[in-house]
Amino acid sequence: MEPDAPKRPGKGAAIILTLFFQITVALFIYALLKAENAVVVALLLASLGASFWTVSRNPAALDQLAATLRQHRAMALSLTLLILLAVPLLVGSDVYILHLLILAQLYAVLALALNFQLGSANIPNFATSASYGIGAYASALLATGLGIGFWLAVPAAVLIATLLCLAVGLLAMRARDTHLALVTIAFAVVVHQLLNTLAWTGGANGLSGIPVPTLFGHSFADPLRALGIRLPSQANFYYLSAALLAVMILAARRLQASRVGLAWNAIRADEIAARAQGIDVTRYKVTAYLADAAFAALAGAIYAAYISYISPENFTFLLSVTIMTMVIVGGMDNIAGVLIGAFLITVLPEKLRLFSDYRLFIFAAIVIAFLLIRPQGLFPKRLRAYGAAA
Amino acid sequence: MSPLLQVEGVAMHFGGLVALDHLDLTVARGELVSIIGPNGSGKSTLFNVISGFYSATRGRVMLDGEDITRASAHRLRDKGIARTFQSSRLFLDLSVLDNIIIGMHTEKPPTVLGVLFRPANAGRELNDCARRAEALLGEGFGTLYEQRHRPAGTLAQADRRRLEIVRAIARGPKLLLLDEPSVGMAEAETQGFIDDIARLRVNFPDLAIALIEHDMRVVEAFPDNVICIDQGRVIVRGDFSAVRKHALVQEAYLGKAAHADA
Repeated sequence: MEPDAPKRPGKGAAIILTLFFQITVALFIYALLKAENAVVVALLLASLGASFWTVSRNPAALDQLAATLRQHRAMALSLTLLILLAVPLLVGSDVYILHLLILAQLYAVLALALNFQLGSANIPNFATSASYGIGAYASALLATGLGIGFWLAVPAAVLIATLLCLAVGLLAMRARDTHLALVTIAFAVVVHQLLNTLAWTGGANGLSGIPVPTLFGHSFADPLRALGIRLPSQANFYYLSAALLAVMILAARRLQASRVGLAWNAIRADEIAARAQGIDVTRYKVTAYLADAAFAALAGAIYAAYISYISPENFTFLLSVTIMTMVIVGGMDNIAGVLIGAFLITVLPEKLRLFSDYRLFIFAAIVIAFLLIRPQGLFPKRLRAYGAAA
Repeated sequence: MSPLLQVEGVAMHFGGLVALDHLDLTVARGELVSIIGPNGSGKSTLFNVISGFYSATRGRVMLDGEDITRASAHRLRDKGIARTFQSSRLFLDLSVLDNIIIGMHTEKPPTVLGVLFRPANAGRELNDCARRAEALLGEGFGTLYEQRHRPAGTLAQADRRRLEIVRAIARGPKLLLLDEPSVGMAEAETQGFIDDIARLRVNFPDLAIALIEHDMRVVEAFPDNVICIDQGRVIVRGDFSAVRKHALVQEAYLGKAAHADA
């Protein structure tokens, strides 16, 4: 153990601290989701900023909190799970909150997927909207055109999107930096234009009447009944997107902690040095892209089934910039940071509708401000620890 | 048995500029070759050709009798050619251990699917790499072992050079190319570097080392096998005392007039 390791609180105190922390976070999120006017939102943001400022001035306390949470990991995880499961019950008839949470979860998947590239390997991919859109359109077309069921259409859509992105990636990932960014922007624009003009994707009108999934005879359009409780139909998709996000977090943690994550980090730090260590840079950039594309397509397929009507306007360049903002604000290569960034950047624009026409501009300003003032994001990436340091 | 490395008539042109002009060089297994020569004589270009960062305009490069002239840098690392750079290129935001573990990349390159679906296996591989990286650091290399959990960017200059060498040998290469490893070192640090290399020679007797060096104290410490390159050609090869007295070497370093005066 390091000599200056934080003193651990006693077991009872640690349990109380863990519970207190989690319940505070949950209450904060609930208050933010419930907030009706800009003043309340501003107050909540101010309190968040104040706690962030306090914590960043006192990193030892943060380490202690993290250590406590790790120590009582099973309890912390089960409480989180319980809160997440109970959300549809807690929000009652306010289904708009469920809608926001579904979007936040799908966007969090997109942001964590993009983090494989942007955060781990420093690949500026502006084409999240393309892989997300291809996933959505492919599953919708398979369902409406060929009558293939949701649970089969989703993996097929993921496969189609991944293969298309493989073809693009093999060409694009030979480029670097600005050139690579330009190629991805071009891909995003081309996909958007194609969706807009092709007859079989419905052109600008998009695709409607995407069938609702059913599972074991239960339609996702019906209210969810369990244990004598009746939950709104949105709860179906809330749980589905929560499950997807859980899988995404697990995958992100595994990859980040692995030798693949190290190879990506090597490329991020210095491509030439990475090649000298025997890393096939193009191959690992392509795999980061494919990992991103597969999860983005998965999120897109679920999104299409959720809102049952998609059009090219759902998959614009603005979406790519939004997802990128989440990663940069939250903290590149920091999974918890990206999750927080995704939640804030999904919910705040909905709450502060006043700037809805200027979103692209505002996001661009936020990204530039962060890259200049705090390029590591709110939550900087952490060094890996091997046995001895833990 | 063919020599480990055989450079045959290699030329490297950049547009009209001739950086290497019909260069021949052989390096045997376990041999240490010091390469000297004035600035711009083509030493670093030679390393870039051997390690696959440049592709020779003419001629060929053989490793263990296999033609590697067109092989890419990452393939050559797998085949046993490791290198350092003139201005050190560490992964500055990663820990010392992570830098070394990345140096082991080519033994079983990891895959995304392997990590996702066989996590226990992937974790075992990583921990095994970490353990071996610590063991390697335990063999010497100053205080790098004590600093193993620190970001490489926080190391002192001499330790960065050291770490670059440890990263390069992490997967037991056959040939180690060191491009001016002692540049910017204080005298005590240079001595530490000489000791590091001497210990490498003992611990890895089959490892061949090619060393580009400007610091004559280092060359004097390994004086048996020195070559001097000038204008993209090897002008002389021999032991240090013979090479330094050679007329062409004096001319290359000091110019014709100085040689006439000497």
